[in-house]
Amino acid sequence: MDAALLEQMLLGALLALSVYLPLRCGQLSLATPGFYAVGGYVAALLSTGVPAFAGSGATSPLPALVAEMVLGGMLAGLIALAIGGPVLRLRGIYLAIATIALVEILRVLNLNLPFTGGAMGIFGIPQPFAHARGYVLFTLALLALACWLCQRLEALRLGRAMAAIRDDELAAASLGIDTPRTKLIAFVASAVLAGLTGALAAHFFNSWNARAGSFDASITTLAFVVFGGSRFWLGPVLGGLALTALPELLRPVGDLRLILFGAVILLGPLFFPQGLVTAERLRWLAALLGRGRHRDRQAPQAP
Amino acid sequence: MSVGRLLRVGTGLLTLSLLLAGCGSDDTNQPVDVTGGVPVGAVLALTGNANVYGQDQKIGLELALQQRNGSGGINGRPLKLALEDSGSDEPGANAAFTLQINRGVLALIGPTLSQQAFSADPIAQRRGVPVVAPSNTATGIPEIGFFISRVSAQSSVIAPLAIERALTIQPGLKRAAVFYAQDDAYSTAETTIFQKALKEKGLEPVTVQRTQLNDQDFQNQISAALREKPDLIVLSLQAVDGGNLIRQLRELGYRGLIVAGNGMNTPNIYPICQKYCDGLLIAQAYSPELDTPANGAFLKAFKAAKGGAIPPQLTAQAYTALQVIGEALVRLDKRQPLAGAPLAATRKQLMQEILAGSYATPLGEIRFTPEGEVIQSQFFVAQVRMDPDGRSGRFALLK
Repeated sequence: MDAALLEQMLLGALLALSVYLPLRCGQLSLATPGFYAVGGYVAALLSTGVPAFAGSGATSPLPALVAEMVLGGMLAGLIALAIGGPVLRLRGIYLAIATIALVEILRVLNLNLPFTGGAMGIFGIPQPFAHARGYVLFTLALLALACWLCQRLEALRLGRAMAAIRDDELAAASLGIDTPRTKLIAFVASAVLAGLTGALAAHFFNSWNARAGSFDASITTLAFVVFGGSRFWLGPVLGGLALTALPELLRPVGDLRLILFGAVILLGPLFFPQGLVTAERLRWLAALLGRGRHRDRQAPQAP
Repeated sequence: MSVGRLLRVGTGLLTLSLLLAGCGSDDTNQPVDVTGGVPVGAVLALTGNANVYGQDQKIGLELALQQRNGSGGINGRPLKLALEDSGSDEPGANAAFTLQINRGVLALIGPTLSQQAFSADPIAQRRGVPVVAPSNTATGIPEIGFFISRVSAQSSVIAPLAIERALTIQPGLKRAAVFYAQDDAYSTAETTIFQKALKEKGLEPVTVQRTQLNDQDFQNQISAALREKPDLIVLSLQAVDGGNLIRQLRELGYRGLIVAGNGMNTPNIYPICQKYCDGLLIAQAYSPELDTPANGAFLKAFKAAKGGAIPPQLTAQAYTALQVIGEALVRLDKRQPLAGAPLAATRKQLMQEILAGSYATPLGEIRFTPEGEVIQSQFFVAQVRMDPDGRSGRFALLK
């Protein structure tokens, strides 16, 4: 497989995790592409406009990339923090609509601000890596870190509070869980992750414009999570990887490619309503893998 | 094995497999592979909101391929064209460019939109693959690097011609209303050029209305513009939104002249604005009425393939792009045979050959500047003439 496609898949997986974080506490937020665009603009503006970040103009230093990612993530996080309070009072479909509105506002701002290059956007972004393989290794490290943090959440008080809110917000609040705060943390974490990803993507795509954060992108990232499953972090990661790769892998079938892609998106939720990765399937897989070694310690069947 | 442990093991395996997959080998030192033909790639927007352009371009490439292979190919060896869809967005164009380059093509044609070019062309530049753009009209495309060139004259050269022509048709023009799609790179770039041209001709834009690429309904912008009583309307829009806007303009009672930019320079607008397209002024880099042997051959091929229709500019430009690459390959192959030559060096020599040549094309005689910008001798202004049934029409050349 080609490294450039692999990089796009990894970016897709990171965005899917960003949609997954608010969903972990039952919040259907479609704001991810908005924060992704913000992160990308931070990286694009800094690396084309500020000499310390720009490097030689064609190649930029790796520490500058890391700094841009931190700044992009922070700016996205701050925006999420500022608007999270009022926005997260909404639930379900209302929250989804509000976050779509947020994405639209950010997009129109990006189109009209004097320094973002309008519809043409910013191009000629310098490259921190000579080859797509460099991006792959770097992004893989970032994805591994994000996955590890998501896995740690399962054991942490915060993660359990999130799960409690997802299952029943009223019951969770009555148990003394600070639901607004927990939801805000998830929303901000999601924004930071999207911002980081955007900063990386702006370099990888050479150019950056307002189309990165459009309504279409919101729906695509949501599809990653719906397809992969929203209960475990592995679901969004698999969904992001698979659905980003699929249109490219289907190229041999020619004109049929987008029809097949559409069919996969349609059939996925039809046959796997909970997504590809569910608790039962994980347990079944764990049992399958564990059977060889633990045959003597098999648990007795429940009556 | 517990679920948590399974997840950890799974992550490890996933990481390992991705790492292995990412470590493909580079192909720069391999020889040119000419089994099945001399490989050239094209990346067009065949799906997505720019697909009307991509479809026009595809016909042009197919005709040029037939022409080249019908007249001996590359010194006896056929030209092999691989066509890929870019969608209409940047990630799609990047992926298709990378795929084509990995296939070992000697040159690339595309991508359809300027916005895609800013994203995908640097990939070809870094890997040293010649690109001939058939339809990128934004400023700054050949400046991306040595390997990037175009046969599509930039809009700053063409767009002002239509304004000039409008003034000769109706010398008393004073008040111009300008429309453009503010979320589209082509439209925003071209409207700046139009507005500058208007001012230079002593026409002040009385209103500038912004629309969005995917808008369907333009009543608000049109009413606001018509309140200013314009006697000229200047549009920088793509085919679909522009066609709809013209229909609504006429339905709301505007009777004056309309000048449109390059985005509407395709017969695909006829079914959209139908009888209301009539009278639309467009400056063109290609005219079907140009009387040269090269255009005659192109028209004949197009008519044979499409049954009497008149070819659009995008088809002619795509045809030209492949013709340029084909002729450069023939010359290069004569000097030193392509088969078995090192790929990277051959790509570089091909680029030099493309830039050095002069070509008799359907667009007229063209050459390139050392940067890869096209030097074209003739431009045209056409007026749309719709048939009485409102379904078909033609771009009539204004002499």
